Amino acid sequence: MATRFRTVQGGIRQSNNEPYFDYSLLFTVLFLIAFGLMMIYSSSSYKANLDYDDSAYFLKKQLVAALFGIAGMVVVSRVPYHVWEGFAVPAYIVSAVLIVLVKTPLGITSHGATRWIKIMGFSLQPAEVAKLGMIIFLACLVCKMGKRIRTTKGLFALLIPPGIIAVMVWKITQNMSSAIIILGIAMLMIFVASPDYKRFVIMALAGSSVIALAVFAIVKMAESPEMMEKLEFRGLRILAWLNPEAYADGKGFQTLQALYAIGSGGIFGKGLGESIQKLGFLPEAQNDMIFSIICEELGLFGAVAVILLFLLLIWRCMIIANNAPDLFGALLVVGVMGHLAIQVILNIAVCTSVIPNTGISLPFISYGGSSVMFLLVEIGIVLNVGRSIRLKDL
Amino acid sequence: MSNKNKTYNRKKVVALFFFCVITFFLLFVRLIQLMIFQSAYYTDKSVQLHERERSIKAARGRILDRNGVVLADNKTVCTISVIHSQIEDEEAVISFLCEELELSEEYVRKRVEKYSSMERIRSNVSKELGDEIREADLAGVKVDEDYKRYYPYDALGSKVLGFTGGDNQGIIGLEVIYDEYLSGEEGMILTLTDAAGIEIEAASERRQEPVPGNDLVVSLDYNIQSYATQLAKQVMATKEADRVSLIVMNPKNGEIMAMVDVPEFNLNEPYTLTPEYEALRAKEEARKQAAASDETSGEAPPEEQKTQEELKQEKLNGMWRNGCINDTYEPGSTFKVVTAAAALESGCATLADTFSCPGFIVVDDRRIRCHKVGGHGAEDFTKGICNSCNPVFVTLGLRIGAERYYDYLKQFGLLDKTGVDLPGEAGTIMHQKDAVGNVELATMSFGQSFQITPLQLATTVSSIINGGKRITPHLAVRAVDAEGNQVESFEKEAGRQIVSAETSGTMRMLLEKVVSEGGGAKAQVEGYRIGGKTATSQTLPRGSGRYIASFVGFSPADDPEVLALVVIHSPQGTYYGGQIAAPVIRQLFENVLPYLEK
Repeated sequence: MATRFRTVQGGIRQSNNEPYFDYSLLFTVLFLIAFGLMMIYSSSSYKANLDYDDSAYFLKKQLVAALFGIAGMVVVSRVPYHVWEGFAVPAYIVSAVLIVLVKTPLGITSHGATRWIKIMGFSLQPAEVAKLGMIIFLACLVCKMGKRIRTTKGLFALLIPPGIIAVMVWKITQNMSSAIIILGIAMLMIFVASPDYKRFVIMALAGSSVIALAVFAIVKMAESPEMMEKLEFRGLRILAWLNPEAYADGKGFQTLQALYAIGSGGIFGKGLGESIQKLGFLPEAQNDMIFSIICEELGLFGAVAVILLFLLLIWRCMIIANNAPDLFGALLVVGVMGHLAIQVILNIAVCTSVIPNTGISLPFISYGGSSVMFLLVEIGIVLNVGRSIRLKDL
Repeated sequence: MSNKNKTYNRKKVVALFFFCVITFFLLFVRLIQLMIFQSAYYTDKSVQLHERERSIKAARGRILDRNGVVLADNKTVCTISVIHSQIEDEEAVISFLCEELELSEEYVRKRVEKYSSMERIRSNVSKELGDEIREADLAGVKVDEDYKRYYPYDALGSKVLGFTGGDNQGIIGLEVIYDEYLSGEEGMILTLTDAAGIEIEAASERRQEPVPGNDLVVSLDYNIQSYATQLAKQVMATKEADRVSLIVMNPKNGEIMAMVDVPEFNLNEPYTLTPEYEALRAKEEARKQAAASDETSGEAPPEEQKTQEELKQEKLNGMWRNGCINDTYEPGSTFKVVTAAAALESGCATLADTFSCPGFIVVDDRRIRCHKVGGHGAEDFTKGICNSCNPVFVTLGLRIGAERYYDYLKQFGLLDKTGVDLPGEAGTIMHQKDAVGNVELATMSFGQSFQITPLQLATTVSSIINGGKRITPHLAVRAVDAEGNQVESFEKEAGRQIVSAETSGTMRMLLEKVVSEGGGAKAQVEGYRIGGKTATSQTLPRGSGRYIASFVGFSPADDPEVLALVVIHSPQGTYYGGQIAAPVIRQLFENVLPYLEK
């Protein structure tokens, strides 16, 4: 931070009105994209060669999505972010409609879940649209509410729209992890917007207790065989999380394979491209579990480097949010920041078996076109908020 | 600026950031836990998952006789496999293998065209053929060498040596008992594979060399075993006997020099029933049926329906049985050695005692007859044993009394197993002591109404005449590693004193008299002092008209170096032990005694 201030002060005299552009944010993102492409190739080439006879199959698809995303980011970074205010309600409606479209013939089923739709040859995950839509809609809504946010009623009123979308994502696309992320982004934005702490602490405590109780109940249920049968796959996932080796052939398989990959990486890793777990042992190696392969190949050092890069990203978001000219801009940035933070934390937590297994991708790195494109568009918004910072305001 | 964000918003963003920092730090701690502290554990686990083991068989130790003659050896055989991904010309490989291995094209084609890491075409191929195939040097064809157990003398000592199964493990005989010495340790080739089990080419192999098994040196003597087998076969043929068991052992230390139980079987084809055994089996079946039809009730117990496989296995088990140790018989008169020794040791009788045999003796309400109908008349102890006079031994038995008689049986080791180093030794079948009345005691005194194994008799007699020390019969002498260093010695110390040296000496003298003057005359060998005792007992049930003729002999009579027991089951024609069993031992000694002196 100190460095930046020095350069800023150095430039004050001549260029008080020079637009600010956050290059460190941009280059961190570009670096992460490039690193992600490399890791996707490393982790998927073996399987891609077996399944598609083209070791670069996944790499190519991701590269195309990333290029589109970067183009989108560049465009969006030049669109004054206040334009999005006008899109708030349409964004919300489009999100909801796209989610419903999953149930129409446009929906694509993959891995046993219908989470994608195909429009004009492009497959798209509505949940990713919904995340971006929610950030814009909620930022706008908070600004509209003004001081009413301070009341309990206002607080809960704010939770209703994201709640509806989250339930839709959860129930219609059977994607609980995306629902949790959407709700999480909303919570963080409201947290920042509201001057209150107490209510959030109570909500956090209540939430944790409910989760703890649910886990406890499932463990108790598992003790009797007849109740065990009633446990559905989420319940089994929790049991598999608590004791992956007991469920090594079923729900615990992926978790255990991820742990093998991470643990066998050691401090310096096996070297880039040297992972063995990617050779068909670890399902979704290029996707949700890519962090495990990073650990296996690049070791603890590589893993820490990745974590630090994400921290840098989040730090840049914080700087931009806190210097944004208005609350709307700040909230947009906070939404993106929350989105990144939640996904990174949950993804690493899943890979390291800190929380039960659920499908959450690692931003910019995991394979997934929709995810990377929409994340880049979100970064574009952040960059534009950054542009609107006048150096004299700093 | 008017629209500048409020301070609390900024504070909350900072709070959010630090919340992220803390969470990232906790995840970092978790990574340290996994990647440093549990790294070894997960690395092990993943290596286990990734590595495929290919075992390398260890050469099994050989079995050598006391002079170094190899009785059980290993033969190199080859396994021919193909590796699909390495084959260059499929058609050439198929036609070549079809021709060389004499297999159908369809069979070979299926395996050659199968996409797998390695497909076995044929195992147990001779080394010559394997070498030929290797020299042809076709890409993708692999020849692996392997060991197969091989017994150079086929049936020699089959029931003693035993054989091994497909996994190099002993199935019967010495191969079972000394498996841990013989088997060695398998080696391993560890290769990394992907999830589908395909070997990763770039990955290096880890190789763990196999440790060959130790050689086992046994006390058997190839020459004595061969000759004993020949004699047993000969007497079985001439007397049309069911089975003949012959044991030759060193009475001083219990080393078994030969153990024969004909019909034997071919160790190189242990799962093929021999014609000899099939014939014996047919004979037994016929007898059983005859017995069943004789029964007035006519109700034969319903034969349990056996599958073909169970029947085959039962037959094989029968063929593999070692009559010397797995089966018991009524020893008859040879057991008088035990009664005599007990009588002398207890002081119930001395050599000076005289007896009278009117041809029978009355015990309680039973008349027990002597084999000589007219009776032996007046006779002293020595004459009594030379005549094998039943009334004399009944008298001796009754003098000792059941209580003391049993004490001696126990002391002589007759109530326990001998402890021979072969599997499945049968125990002694004896009356309960409480159930022994005078009649039972009387019959036991001359070796009837109970059963022991031939080896138990040979061991007990050995112990009585060797100076009185109980010995443990055994075959293994030592285990030797590949470099010829002794790994373990199996020599057995002579055990406790079971009769006094004096009684032992008396018994040797008496038994020498049996051969020189009594019923064992046909066991005499010119120039050697032989001691021995004959026996003829009826096979149970009585009245079957079948007998067991046996003879136990030893030499030199004053300081025995070798003891031999022959048991002939169901001989046709003359069935007296003195007539048919004693000559077998004579022939044996005629050859073995000069041989052992060398």
